[in-house]
Formats: sequence, C-alpha cells, structure tokens
Amino acid sequence: MAGIGFELRKILARDSYSSTLRAYVYAGLLSAGPWVLSIISVMLIGIMSIGVVFPELLVRQFLVTTTYLFATSLITTGGLQVFFTRFVSDRLFEKKPHVILPNLLGIMLIATICAGLLAFVLLWWLFDQPFLYRLLVLTNFVTLCNLWLVIIFLSGMKQYNRILLTMLGGYSLMVVASFFLRPWGLDGLLFALLLGHATLLFVFLFDILREYRAEKLIAFDFLDRKQVFLSLLLTGVCYNMGIWADKFIFWFNPMTSEHVIGPLRASMLYDLPIFLAYLSIIPGMAVFLVRIETDFAEWYERLFDAVREGQTLQHIQQLKSEMTVAIRQGLQEICKVQGITVVLLFLFAPKLLEWLGISHFYLPLFYIDLIGVSFQLLLMALLNVFFYLDKRAIVLELSALFVLLNIALTLLSQYLGPSFYGYGFTVSLAICVLLGMMRLNKSLDDLEYNTFMLSR
Amino acid sequence: MTDQNRSGPVAQHGDQADVCLLLEGTWPYVRGGVSGWINQIILGLPNVTFSVLFIGGQRESYGERHYVIPPNVKHIEEVFIEDAWQFAPRAEQAPSDGSVRDLANMYRYFHHPQKPDEITGDAVLGALASGQLTMQDVLRSRASWEAITEGYLNHCSDPSFINYFWTMRTMQSPMVMIAEAAARMPRARLLHAISTGYAGLAGCILKRRWQCKFILSEHGIYTKERKIDLAQASWIAENADEALNSSLDPSSGYIRSMWIRFFERIGLMVYRNADPIIALYDGNRQRQVLDGADPDRTRVIPNGIDLERWNALRQTRAEGIAPVVGLIGRVVPIKDVKTFIRAMRTIVSELPEMEGWIIGPEDEDIEYAAECHSLVASMGLEKNVRFLGFQKADEIIPRLGVMVLTSISEAQPLVILEAWCAGTPVVSSDVGSCRELIEGGTAEDRDLGQAGEVVAIADPQATASAVLRLLRNPERWQTAQTAGVARANRYYGEALMLERYRKLYSNSMGNL
Repeated sequence: MAGIGFELRKILARDSYSSTLRAYVYAGLLSAGPWVLSIISVMLIGIMSIGVVFPELLVRQFLVTTTYLFATSLITTGGLQVFFTRFVSDRLFEKKPHVILPNLLGIMLIATICAGLLAFVLLWWLFDQPFLYRLLVLTNFVTLCNLWLVIIFLSGMKQYNRILLTMLGGYSLMVVASFFLRPWGLDGLLFALLLGHATLLFVFLFDILREYRAEKLIAFDFLDRKQVFLSLLLTGVCYNMGIWADKFIFWFNPMTSEHVIGPLRASMLYDLPIFLAYLSIIPGMAVFLVRIETDFAEWYERLFDAVREGQTLQHIQQLKSEMTVAIRQGLQEICKVQGITVVLLFLFAPKLLEWLGISHFYLPLFYIDLIGVSFQLLLMALLNVFFYLDKRAIVLELSALFVLLNIALTLLSQYLGPSFYGYGFTVSLAICVLLGMMRLNKSLDDLEYNTFMLSR
Repeated sequence: MTDQNRSGPVAQHGDQADVCLLLEGTWPYVRGGVSGWINQIILGLPNVTFSVLFIGGQRESYGERHYVIPPNVKHIEEVFIEDAWQFAPRAEQAPSDGSVRDLANMYRYFHHPQKPDEITGDAVLGALASGQLTMQDVLRSRASWEAITEGYLNHCSDPSFINYFWTMRTMQSPMVMIAEAAARMPRARLLHAISTGYAGLAGCILKRRWQCKFILSEHGIYTKERKIDLAQASWIAENADEALNSSLDPSSGYIRSMWIRFFERIGLMVYRNADPIIALYDGNRQRQVLDGADPDRTRVIPNGIDLERWNALRQTRAEGIAPVVGLIGRVVPIKDVKTFIRAMRTIVSELPEMEGWIIGPEDEDIEYAAECHSLVASMGLEKNVRFLGFQKADEIIPRLGVMVLTSISEAQPLVILEAWCAGTPVVSSDVGSCRELIEGGTAEDRDLGQAGEVVAIADPQATASAVLRLLRNPERWQTAQTAGVARANRYYGEALMLERYRKLYSNSMGNL
C-alpha cells in the first residue's frame, strides 16, 4: 500500500532519533496491530478473569472459543484479503479511487452472508451449547471476518494517530467491558470481545467512508474476472491454512489435546508457547514494514519509472541493483533485530515463564517456536516482495508448499514424540524461506528479461 | 490466408502457379502506378498463372480490393506485418531458449553497424526458411534478449532502452511472420518480387525453400523511399535531447539510423539473391548497383503503354498548338504544383491568352491544395489557371498544348508516354527517368530528337522559358511532337514490355 510508504518516508525525513523511533513504532503497531493486540487483549482478559470467573474452565472455554474464532475467520477471509488488496491497489493505480468504497461494501456484504451462513450451519450442526453462546460466537465470527477486510485499508490511510487511538480505544473498551461483564461468565466475556471488535470495525469503516469518495453505494466489480486475479484467493487461503495447520493438528490429536467446549478441543501444551512466541515478532515486523515500504518501494518505483520513461539499460540495471540491495538490507535487518530478540528471549525465557507462572516443561517448545515465528516473519517479507514484483505464481507456490509441509511435518513430529513438537512448524517454514530466497534470487536475476520479453 | 469474404473471385487452390508474385502494399488493395503495372502484367500474360503473397502494414487500413482478381491468379495469401507484434502470444508457458546462433546472426546481419558478410546472410535466411527460428524465439526467448541487449550495450547511442527494444521487436518479428506466411505458400515455379523490402525478403526465403529463380523488378528504389519516409516519420519516439540534435542534422537519431540500416540490409540481401534485377530506367539501375546489386545481373525494362489506344487520340487533337499548359498529377507537395503556378505567372506575362490547367484530385493534402489556390490568387492568375480536379487522361491530354511535370520525385512517369502518343510535347523536371525519356537514352534513341525539354527541379523561370520556347516556335513544337510519337512507339509499347517479361519468365522457368 502506497499510503504508509509516503507517511513513513515523511517521518524518517525529519532524521532524528525520536522521529525514527516513531516511524518504527507506527510501523510495528500498524503491521502487527490488530492481531497482536487482539492476542494481548484476550490474554489480558483471561488473566484478569482467573479467580473471578468460576469455574476456571469457563475462562479456558472463552480463550479457546476466541482462538477458534480468529483461526477460522482468518482462514475464511484470507483469500478475500489478498484478492481484494490487489483489486484496491489496481484501481488506485488506474486512478479510479471512487470505485473502491462501493466494492468494499459489496465484498463485505458477500463476506457477511457467506460467513453468517457458514457459522450458522456449523453452530447448528456441531454445537449443543445454549442459544446465547451460539449467537455470540456467530456474531463474533461475522464481525471478525469483516474486520479483516476493513484493516486492509489501514496502511493506506493517512491519519495514523487516529488509527492508533481507535485501536487503543477499541481494545481498552474490550478489556474494560470484560471487567464489568465478568459476572455473566462465558457469555459476558464473549460479549466484551464482540463489543471491542465491533467498535474497531465500525470506527474504521466510518474513517474509510469519510476518506474515499463514491458515486454509488455498493458495487460488485470485483466479480468481474478481467479486473481481478482469482489465483490470489487460493494463495490467501493456503497461506492462512498454513499458519494454522499445525495448531489444528495438535488440537485434534487426542494424544496432545483435551476437549474444551462443544466440538472444540485445545492443546494446552502446544498453544501457550506459540502464542507467546508470536509476540516476539513485533520488532521484526516494524523493521520489515519500514524497510519494505520506504527503501524497497522507493527503488521499485524508480526502477519502473526508468523503464517507462526510456532510461538507458545501464541505468535500469543500476536501479535494479539498488533495489536488490534494499531487499537484502531489509532481510538482513529483520534477521538482526529478530536475532537479537530471539537471543534475549532465549536467555530470559526461564525467568519469563516463571514470572508468568508457566511450567518449565514448555521451554524447549517455546525455543523452537521462537525460531519458527522468525522464519514466518521472513516468509511474510519475501511474499510481500513477490507481490510487489507481481510474481503471483511464486507466492501461490510458496503458500501451497507451506500448508502441505506444515501438515506433513507436524504429523511426522507427532509421530516422533514430544521432544519434536514444534519442529514441524519451524522446519516447514525454514524450507519455504529457503525456497523463497532461491526464487527471489532468480526473479531478480531475470527481472529485466521478464519485464521486457514476457510482459506484452 | 485467403480471405474469401472480400470482393473478387475466390482463389482456387490446387494447381501449381507459374509465377509467385511478392507484393508489398500494392495490388490488389491500393490503386497507383505500381498496382496498375502489376494488373497490366497479369492481364497481359493470360497464359501465365500467378500466385500472390500480399504483404500489408496494418490489416485495417486495407478495405476492399480495387482490382478484380483475374482468372489466371490461382492463389492469394495475405500477411500484415503489424500483426507480428500485436498478436504475439503471451507466453505463460516456459519461454523457449531460442537458437543463440540464429538470433546472434540475425542481429549481426540486420542491425550491426558493420556491413555483414554473405555467410551470415545465408545463415539467417536458412534459419528463416527452415522455420527453425520461431516467433517465440524472437519475441520471448532468452537468447533473443541476450542478442538485443548486447547490441544495445555495444552500439546503441539512443539513451532510451525501451525505444531501442521495441524498435528491435518491430523489425525482427515481421521477418519471422513473413517466413511463416511464405511457408504456407503453395509452390510456384518462379518468384517475382515487385520491390525489395519485405516482399523481397519473402522472395529470398521462398527461393531458399523452393530452389527456383527469383526475379526482382523495382519501380522506385525501395530503400530510398523508406529513407524519405523515415526522415518525415513522427512515429519514431525520440529522446528530447536527440530530437534537438536531429533538428540540426536530419539524418541523425539512432533509432532512425537503425531503421535505415535495416532496410538497407534487406535490400542487400535481396540484391544478392535476385537474378535478374530489373529497373525501369538506367538511373535506377545505377543506384541499385551502388546499393550492392551485381551489375551483371541488372537490366532495364521500361514501362510501356497501350500504343494503339493512345496513338488513336492524336486524331482527336484540334489543329495547331492549343493555348493550354497542363499539369497532370495529384495536388500534393511531391508534384510541386507551386512551381508550376509560378512558371505560369511568367508564361501568362508573355502570352496573356495562355491557360494553365491543374488536373488531378485535391483531396489528398487539403492544406497544400489550399495553399496552391491562394498562390494562384496572390499572383493574379485566377483567370488563367484552373483547377480541374480528376479528369480522364484520354479526354484531357489531347487538349493540351504542352504538358508540364514539375515533380520533385518520379520513377518513369507513364503520363509522359501517354502525352507523346496523344501528340503533346512535355517539359519535365530532371527527376527519375525523365531526362532519359525526353532526350533519349542510347545513341540510337537520341537520334530521334528531343521530345520536349528537361529543366531543373523547383525552377519556375527555367520551366517557363522551356514552355515558351515550345509555344512560340511551332517548328520546334512540331519536331518535339514527332520525336515523342516516334520514341513512345519504338521503345515504350506495352506489347514490348510484356514480351520482355514473357521471355524472362519462360527463360527462368525453362519453358512456357
């Protein structure tokens, strides 16, 4: 998204430590924002509720229900997110911003209907919980599905302070509401969750409505095959399934999981370390966003301007090597920052877990998960570069490989025994990152050839 | 492909044609001198069967056929060079690796600044004729990319790579497309190209495929005409700096020079492969030799007109010298109508009863036509100079006292021959074969006398003096008329021309 690049460049242009720090904080919050803040808030609600909500199983039921809500909504809309992001940037490139808002409403309508029907069928068929619980799960699910579509626009918007305030407000509301709604147990907590996410959804939607002009209320241009890339739907689904595949395997293997509520199962052993590990990639994500959206994007634009404006081949090649350097530096910086974070966490993990009241039994799994999520960050960075270079086939290949490997290797790790838990996830990501690097190398080598000889 | 929806009889497949005509942008779609000549040949040699490969630019710019396809034309194949880079298949499948050697040779032969050798040319022709070099190779392959970028880095002085790149594509892909079209042609016994350029290239490729004789007839000089086009072309994207340079020196600009080189190289290839190489007059033959044609293969066959028909017109002339000076031609800059008008000013000052007729359509260059009209007005010639628009030549020529040709470029204008048969002396600018026509080429020819006068181009004063000399001196006029009639009848009859081609065909095919 172009917007964030410009804003970050503006902040960085002030060239002071505080402004640089601010750029990274913005970037971190924006990129990691919604889902990391969600994890933190939900955990906070869980921790606050321990000892207040009885029996404790209810807290666990709340946490597991929430996790499933995130997982399923992300997988359901993963395809749409990638697909619609591309649609939006193509229309912006064509200088047709007025078609965006009607199409957002169109895709939200479709997402709401489909998500609603899906949730209705599943809840009716698989669950025998009270009506209120099922209703809350359904509304939460539909809200999240819409929220994931709306946050596509965040990085494209200009009022960052407003976005950050909205996030702060939404998640604070969620936590505060849960405090007051605790007496109503599981239903109360789910309602607090809904309240928080719905607030975010509608405030963001309001901001988007104000920012984009439109000539009509609703449109379905994204159903026109000429304007979209259907393969992106598959890519998005694969990538999100890849992220969750190992978790579902652990949840549904009776050896590693226990029943929690309705058909939902969870794996105490597996879940806690990995969700903690996810928090460790916030600094890396900030670095990644700043590097990719400023340096890389800038060289990328200059490169393709040079091609269009008829610069010399030598100049084009020069710009390409600058762009290559920017990518390399970006990846290196992610490695540095993530490396330091991982080393620090390795050192302090025993104390940290002790402080959080988590058994040392989890340590090995936490270590391997830390490495795994770092690879996931690198994979995200690579996919982002591939999206810029319009290498849709490679992104699809990597995403599909990721989901297949994660399933296969996680099953293998379960077969090999508890000391191998977590390796399936980490190794599958390591392989994907390696392959991605190779593909990136080749794509950059062939960039001019592809651009000139194969584009038209 | 033979498009059967177009007008004209359906081409028949099956029986082998005697002569395969290779035509670029002419018959049967476009009217004009060359097309008329082709029609003349086909109709004039009814015992010879023809097949036609028509090469056009843009498919859309050719509407209906202007000529009825005669029954001795057995097959028509059409190919449009702009299709080459517009319908190029987008390779989602793995791009071919291409033939490194063929593509390097292609660059070496057509685009390298140094004049190529024959071995390279033969290798390129071989690759094109065998179908070894495909569109995919040229448009998509890595080898092609290597050849193109290497050429750019070593030789290109135009900074814009994208301009260079697309220029290369626009040159190379049509050659492969023409080779592909040539492969679809049913075999004929003899090849006859009516120009170098793409048609000549097709001739070279087919000669290689069929191992038969390849005749080249050039009316103008293709390479020279392309150079004139290119000097005026606005479609050549040029860098701002370069545009500035080229305004100082019109021949500069790397992209332009690439195009000129490209057509020169094709010309060279065609001259090396064609035998005989026929020009309309000796001036052009010399030019062909200069451009690389082997003098032993060159020869001259002038155009001819239907003598019977035109000679008959002399009977329709009024007695004496009609007080009319006529210019027959489209009102366009190349005919330099303004010089004619300026000359008329002098003529009318001397002989006020004289009239100047400008006979030809004015719709081709409306702006120029308007300028001509206002020039007539500003010179006060409204009473004497008339714009008659298009007229039938056989009705108007006998009514002229003297015919004037002020063109700045001509090959062998048939209108001079027609004027002579109709008994009209001609004053012409010294372009193309005009001097050879009017004063005579060989010694024997010269003995017939001057059939008018030749003057420098764009010289109204000399033109006027020449016209006045003829008009004021009936004896001189009479001599010129006699010389014209004699010369046209001896050297420029249609029957003579057809006979020469018939002989050429039958010699080249063995028997006919």
